Amino acid sequence: MTVTAVRPGALAVCEADLEVMTDLVGPVEPGDVVLVHAGVAIARIEA
Amino acid sequence: MRYVDEYRDAELGRALAAEILSTVEPGRQYKVMEVCGGHTHTIYKYGVDDLLPENVELVHGPGCPVCVIPMGRVDDAIAVARRPGVIFTCFGDMMRVPGGDGTLLDAKAQGADIRMVYSPLDALRIARENPEREVVFFAVGFETTAPSTALTLMRAKVEALRNFSVYCNHVTIVPPLRALLESPDLRLDGFIGPGHVCTVVGARPFAFIPADYGKPVVISGFEPLDLLQSVHMVLRQLASGRAEVENQYRRVVPDEGNEQALRVLEDVFELRPHFEWRGLGFISHSGLKLSERYADFDAELRFDVPGVRVADPKACQCGEVLKGVIKPWECKVFGTACTPERPIGTCMVSSEGACAAYYNYGRFARERAVV
Repeated sequence: MTVTAVRPGALAVCEADLEVMTDLVGPVEPGDVVLVHAGVAIARIEA
Repeated sequence: MRYVDEYRDAELGRALAAEILSTVEPGRQYKVMEVCGGHTHTIYKYGVDDLLPENVELVHGPGCPVCVIPMGRVDDAIAVARRPGVIFTCFGDMMRVPGGDGTLLDAKAQGADIRMVYSPLDALRIARENPEREVVFFAVGFETTAPSTALTLMRAKVEALRNFSVYCNHVTIVPPLRALLESPDLRLDGFIGPGHVCTVVGARPFAFIPADYGKPVVISGFEPLDLLQSVHMVLRQLASGRAEVENQYRRVVPDEGNEQALRVLEDVFELRPHFEWRGLGFISHSGLKLSERYADFDAELRFDVPGVRVADPKACQCGEVLKGVIKPWECKVFGTACTPERPIGTCMVSSEGACAAYYNYGRFARERAVV
């Protein structure tokens, strides 16, 4: 999923307005692509 | 779309199918288990098996998290959900999994406050918004999903949220694979390893399969060409007499996994002595419970959970499907008494379940015609 916005507390918003936890992949920025399972990003996908 | 379109290229698929054909020995039968329900879904959605030679059979493994939940755990969930003051939250698939006493959806229709959530974080939000109610999250899934529950519990602990708890049914993938390899029912030649689980745990936990059983493992991605290439890699290992863990899904899976996720899992969970799997029975050290540090959030300690054990309906053969002993269409109730609209068994509920995949992508009609 592509990150569209970043929120405080290791949270990000991805496409379709889904809020995901980003604790496991480190800081993200809008445009980053992450693999999301059950609301947590478990891997960063190379852009 | 990058990472999708190039893995669905039909020309490349046909080329890989030709390479697979040239790799197999005529007259030898090959059985390769795809461990993950996500792989099963892709295989039947895209007809990957139609591109394989007749002597290469894909066998569906126990890696569908919804499918392996025993009926008794569903009945326990319903008992908690029916308690006054409880808001019970779960993933959508779990709403339709039959227990011995109906489904969570039935219980909701009868008045229980049961809500579908996308992630445990949603359940946490419901708990914040309803401080006078007890909010319980029905946690299911393998090592892929467990980090989400763990991170949510860490947030709940930091916030000292007292009305949130987790009914933990997380399981781990290695013990059932070992149980299958020890089973006399099944002769397997190799494994397609679960790519997303490996994103968390890495490749190392699967090294016992070549080391102890002499079978190849290829960790695979989830697009059709990923699976074709992985099958080819398994067959190439067999052809050259090798048995090792190879990683086809390098674009996502590092060999060492996600170390931060592993630390989080170790902090929040501990292994149960044993856990019941649908169709596979009790398997040692295969289930997770909340660690002592998170015991205050354990719904099994907070509520009087009955601990029900329920035998599967006699007509349902989910257990044999989960062990790869029979194909879904060989089950007596497949497509007749058991359909995605009215499932009897768990394998017909989730899109990752082998029976639902067969049924939804037209395998039912084709296989029936062959019979």
